Amino acid sequence: MSERFAKDLDEIDDLEDLFEHAPCGYVSAGVDGRIIKVNATFAGWLRLDKADLIGRRFQDLLNIVGKIYYETHFAPLLRMQGFFHEVALDLVGADGTKLPVLVNAVERRDEAGNMRFTRITIFNASDRRQYERDLLEARRAAETANANLLELNRTLEDRVAEAVEARVRSEEALHQAQKMEAIGQLTGGIAHDFNNMLAIILSALNLLERRLAKGEDVAPLLAAARESAHRAASLVQRLLAFSRRQPLAPEPLCPNDMVRDMSELLRHTLGEAVSLEAVLAGGLWHVHADRNLLENAIVNLAVNARDAMPAGGRLTIETANCHLDDAYAAEHAIKAGQYVMVAVTDTGTGMTEETMQKAFDPFFTTKEVGKGTGLGLSQVFGFVKQSNGHIKIYSELGHGTTIKLYLPRFYGTASAPAPKASSDVTLPSGREVILLVDDDERMLSLTASMLRDLGYGVVETARGAEALDKLQAHPEIELLFTDVVMPQMNGPELAKEALRRRPGLRVLFTSGYTRNAAVHNGILNPAMNLLQKPATVEQLARKVRAALDDELDPHRHR
Amino acid sequence: MNARQRNNVNVIGAGSKTIVFAHGFGCDQNMWRFVWPAFADGYRIVLFDHVGCGNSDLQAYDDGKYATLDGYAEDVVEICRALGVSGGVFVGHSVSAMIGVLAARRAADLFDDIVMVCPSPRYIDDAGYTGGFAEAQIHELLDFLDANHMGWSQTLAPVIMGRPDRPELAEELTNSFCSTDPEIAKKFARVTFLSDNRADLSAVTARCLVLQCSEDVIAPQCVGEYVHRQLPNSEFVLLQATGHCPNLSAPEETVAAMKAFLGGGNS
Ligand SMILES: Nc1ncnc2c1ncn2[C@@H]1O[C@H](COP(=O)(O)OP(=O)(O)O)[C@@H](O)[C@H]1O
Ligand SMILES: [Mg+2]
Repeated sequence: MSERFAKDLDEIDDLEDLFEHAPCGYVSAGVDGRIIKVNATFAGWLRLDKADLIGRRFQDLLNIVGKIYYETHFAPLLRMQGFFHEVALDLVGADGTKLPVLVNAVERRDEAGNMRFTRITIFNASDRRQYERDLLEARRAAETANANLLELNRTLEDRVAEAVEARVRSEEALHQAQKMEAIGQLTGGIAHDFNNMLAIILSALNLLERRLAKGEDVAPLLAAARESAHRAASLVQRLLAFSRRQPLAPEPLCPNDMVRDMSELLRHTLGEAVSLEAVLAGGLWHVHADRNLLENAIVNLAVNARDAMPAGGRLTIETANCHLDDAYAAEHAIKAGQYVMVAVTDTGTGMTEETMQKAFDPFFTTKEVGKGTGLGLSQVFGFVKQSNGHIKIYSELGHGTTIKLYLPRFYGTASAPAPKASSDVTLPSGREVILLVDDDERMLSLTASMLRDLGYGVVETARGAEALDKLQAHPEIELLFTDVVMPQMNGPELAKEALRRRPGLRVLFTSGYTRNAAVHNGILNPAMNLLQKPATVEQLARKVRAALDDELDPHRHR
Repeated sequence: MNARQRNNVNVIGAGSKTIVFAHGFGCDQNMWRFVWPAFADGYRIVLFDHVGCGNSDLQAYDDGKYATLDGYAEDVVEICRALGVSGGVFVGHSVSAMIGVLAARRAADLFDDIVMVCPSPRYIDDAGYTGGFAEAQIHELLDFLDANHMGWSQTLAPVIMGRPDRPELAEELTNSFCSTDPEIAKKFARVTFLSDNRADLSAVTARCLVLQCSEDVIAPQCVGEYVHRQLPNSEFVLLQATGHCPNLSAPEETVAAMKAFLGGGNS
């Protein structure tokens, strides 16, 4: 044996060894798909002899899922694209054990393109499949955890929102309760004034009746009654506005405006024995606070002051811009800087040292049961702290008390001032001529004088038939203002005939019925303009103006 | 969405008689790439993808409609109607052989001839019937698809769908021939392997050819013979080709058998 031949043999042996014992399985399949060669590694995995594998097809060695997918997916793929890569399949060994493998296959062709054989390379994928399973498991766990976390977050947000809402609700309830308590205290003082106003109105009406009977001038009496009624109405309005439940929200406010707006209410609250004085600083800065709460605070301080002056005295509300310096701020744990001060001073009993100590405590009161709750100052304190402000009591027994609120200056442009109370607003009026019809003579003349007061010309009558004559006689009439329910000819009948004669005429009905009742009883058509009795001057003025301006008036057919 | 777009219909040639080729579970119209050219001379060739396969409109997949093979048959009828097919030839591979049977039941005028390549009216064994699979084996398949949702798309899907986790390989490995939406493929497998259309065979009026492969694990010879027996008017040809896809592995033999059956193909 030549040396060279021996060397070649060695090399062949070496290659053969590499093929047989490579760390992967090798399979060659012929054109018909049958195995023609297989290495020892692969046969060993299946616990079969190499000879047993010759002539079988690769797919026959797979589990059922592998068989199906091999036939339906991978064999077609191999045929069409000439190879497939990294297909995960399970081999089934002679003893039934499964071996996860990764399979690559490639078709080998000769130069003419004819298929020679298919080379299939198989890698043991037990570890990798285990990693994959672990990975999938971990991913599923992560997804579950994530879903749980999301769920938790979602409910957490909800829960926090719920708690906050509950807190806000109970705070609002507390504010409201406290306000109602203050109202209770207010109305005591107000009832007296209210009675006075009603007395003025009643006596004016009495006089009116008599003078009307004698045909005398009643204008001054009407004016007095009207003025008194207006004041009563505005007082009620303020009380209602104050007692209304409102959401809490800070806004830029001018304390001077607020004190001015409240002065009427306060004056009535304090009663005649207490004089009220407001000392309002010029050029006062704005503050950023909840209007409702600041109002409430001022009322509370005023009520406390009144209670401290049972025999009467002087109440002063003062405002000022001021600067709290570093030393003061540090001492009271607030920020140094610019503040707006609102001080309420009385000339009452004053407080003992002990009362001063406890005055801000909730439920601390020195008043008898039914008169005090001990919640007023604690609310004021809460409001001031919440607004980053400061509150201070100065009191001298037997001389009086000053309570000072400091609210931080608001550096911004304030929004438009709140609309003024309606009594200050000029009422809509006009100079047109109105035909007024009402079978109730007292109502007729009352309404007529209100309309005249507003500047209108009035032609009045208590009967429908007469109204038609007047319409004829006064071409300047622009509005028919009639009661709905009248004997003989009712309002709608009158309007119909009036419109027939004067198509451009505007019509306004008035009735003690509610609109719904009038419509329901078939007296009124739902589109008609109705002023409900009893009406305030303001409602009357608006409705008449609207009818004349042709807003909402379906009776105007030009 | 019209049927032609929905099913990615391709029409080749202008013969007076039409051959409609329908692919089976696991591939798309590329299945017929070695077969249809042999008929392009004399026939109008119609190729299409079932909804969920190949380049069909995946949006058109409807769980309810495609819960039975009848949904797929409905599509075949719509495609044929859109193309004015009448008295044509239907060639269905694997599960599509039965889809053709159902389409013919819906519209008997569509096809004079039906070629069934490796058909099976029922895969699961039954009393007095051998389908080739024990019930437990089919459930092993379906469980595998269900349980290994991720595993399936990580192991089988790389070849079928490309590898979303390794986009650099996707280019090279993406299978441009038999793309399948993995979720829809799972449902298609379920419908296919749980189907039972044995009762529909006796109603087929068209002339049929049953092409049977040797050693087909999906549709064994006894199943092909059963189909042949149940059809009122059929021929049976046992091919030398092995496996389940003679249209790919032995196109010449497949074409020859079809031509012999169709009588030269020109009409
Ligand atoms: N202006 C004041 N003058 C004297 N004592 C006052 C004054 N304001 C408050 N107090 C004292 O502080 C207590 C607590 O006041 P407050 O919290 O408003 O509760 P209430 O008014 O219901 O008693 C009062 O009961 C009173 O003793
Ligand atoms: Mg109080």
